[in-house]
Amino acid sequence: MDEDMIRLESVSKVYREGRIEVPALSDVSLKINKGEFAAVSGPSGSGKTTLLNLIGALDVPTGGKIWLEGKDLSALDRTALSQIRRDRIGFVFQAYNLIAVLTAFENAEFVMAIQGVPAAERRDRTTAILRDVGLGGLEGRRPDELSGGQQQRVAIARAMVTGPAVVLADEPTANLDSHTADSLLDMMEELNRKRGVTFLFSTHDPRVMERARRIIRLRDGRLDSDEITKQD
Amino acid sequence: MALRNLGRNKTRTGITVFSMAFAGFTMILYMSLVAGFFQTLEDNTIGLDLGEFQMHAKGYRSDPDLYKRIEDPASVIRTASERGFNASARLYGYGLAAFGNSSAGVMLRGVDLENEPKVTRISGSVMEGSWLDRADPKGVVVGKKLARTLGLKPGDELVLVSQASDGSMANDLYKVRGVLKTVGEVVDQAGFLMSDDEFRRLLVVPTGAHEVAMTRRNKDVPLDAATAEASKAFPGLEVRNWKQLQPILARMMDMMGTSVKMVIMIAYSAVGMIILNAMLMNVFERIREFGVMKALGVSPARIFLLITAEALLSAFFASVAAAGLGAPAALHYQRHGLDLEMLTTSMNVSGMALDPTLHFRLTPAALGMPIFFMFALVVVATLYPAMKAAVIRPVEALHHQ
Ligand SMILES: Nc1ncnc2c1ncn2[C@@H]1O[C@H](COP(=O)(O)OP(=O)(O)O)[C@@H](O)[C@H]1O
Ligand SMILES: [Mg+2]
Repeated sequence: MDEDMIRLESVSKVYREGRIEVPALSDVSLKINKGEFAAVSGPSGSGKTTLLNLIGALDVPTGGKIWLEGKDLSALDRTALSQIRRDRIGFVFQAYNLIAVLTAFENAEFVMAIQGVPAAERRDRTTAILRDVGLGGLEGRRPDELSGGQQQRVAIARAMVTGPAVVLADEPTANLDSHTADSLLDMMEELNRKRGVTFLFSTHDPRVMERARRIIRLRDGRLDSDEITKQD
Repeated sequence: MALRNLGRNKTRTGITVFSMAFAGFTMILYMSLVAGFFQTLEDNTIGLDLGEFQMHAKGYRSDPDLYKRIEDPASVIRTASERGFNASARLYGYGLAAFGNSSAGVMLRGVDLENEPKVTRISGSVMEGSWLDRADPKGVVVGKKLARTLGLKPGDELVLVSQASDGSMANDLYKVRGVLKTVGEVVDQAGFLMSDDEFRRLLVVPTGAHEVAMTRRNKDVPLDAATAEASKAFPGLEVRNWKQLQPILARMMDMMGTSVKMVIMIAYSAVGMIILNAMLMNVFERIREFGVMKALGVSPARIFLLITAEALLSAFFASVAAAGLGAPAALHYQRHGLDLEMLTTSMNVSGMALDPTLHFRLTPAALGMPIFFMFALVVVATLYPAMKAAVIRPVEALHHQ
């Protein structure tokens, strides 16, 4: 279990807004192995979302390099990056980012659809995962007909249903009651144990940190601490 | 997927498609109106009196003279017919007509009653009374303004005085059979029409004709090509097409054509703005949605195709709607005309009659151009935002509100 899933080498990110430069990440080096169940924590504005976005190839760093499963992301073109996002990464956005015109079911099966998974298989897997996240019966609703927590769960279902190599989840429990949060964390742990899916959360939710086996702390965009809290 | 997206967002799709359809519909009607207007103008110019071509003996046009005649009009008409023209011979002379206490100079015309209807519609342009008839050799048809000047109406008898080709004095008594509608300035002012037989008898012109007027049977043959063909077929005659006969009118129609083209271009630009705006809004409003798709791994090429496909589908629906509404509307006004009689009295352009009814004409161009333009514009209007959406970094798109 010591193969690199994710490797960052002195990664930094500076946002530029007009003439103002906002340094969001500074000189972060980090390695996450396959099969880890890790949390990035830190106060609001410490760079958690930025870090996940960079790892998830949604954005490019202004300095340093990132490898995902041994591939240097900076060396890949847009199409190759989109393929990695589609096939290797499950991303749970802080703002859910469901597609407004699609139903819960269609949102959940979206990635499988663009992967070209046959319709019957898509239907079975989507139905099962929506039941698992507690959305059975709400498949036909549009995002605007779902509560924040329900949307969050659709987003989580969408990220996990394809069986990605790594799930990057940005504050996935922020809008969930503790019961739902617990059952989702159970699901994630199970996926992690059985299938070896790597999980990287950003969170300041103690429930998540309690479950995480490694906690990476950020402060003002710098790596503050990195500790293994549980051994497998 | 493109179709589903369109179906899911009915309001947005509706607005886009509706604005494009409305633009297309308007352009189809407008183009039909312009096509119809020029067709009517041309028909009235050449169809009532002038004919598309006229042939004369050499020198007649510069110095019209009873003696400068086309020797054998019958053979000219036959040859013309073989070359794809309808032709009719005309004879011209001048005289003085007197009715009651008034008199006026008139232009006598001997009409080939069998062939003239194949070339012009003058026989159908009688306002009062009826057209010439061989059975009534003393019955004449006069121009509208001439009738007004002399106070003539059908049934009135009048005296005509002229000089025959043998130098003798020609005079006779005629009866007005009909008064013409507006045909053209010369005929209106002075037209005194009789059958060719009567003309020959009165002015002692046993053979020949002063003019042979022709039209193309196949209007798709270009005017210039047909002119060249006729000149070759009749090397001894002067052949002129209507543009050469009425250069001012032809110039004016060209100029009107140019200004109409400019108006069309302005209209198209205005319509283009509507479509451009609709398309840009459509994509930029949804940058976030495309950003999500990209974040989930939809490739740039696929984003591009999706946006383009949606746009083309919208354009397709808009075209169907525009053509489905525009074509029948244009055809309706093509058949029935749009009567503006209430707004204007008779119009007269350079001595040619214009009737106040707008005739539409749904030509292939009137239907095809707006639709082609719509598609071209949609492609242009979509290319940029589609490209932009395809290459934008997912986070940038996600931050787009
Ligand atoms: N798109 C952006 N443009 C400019 N500044 C940004 C942008 N996104 C984040 N930032 C800034 O970068 C810093 C880190 O933000 P973020 O990664 O969202 O932190 P966290 O997720 O830990 O709250 C903050 O100061 C934030 O204001
Ligand atoms: Mg955040």
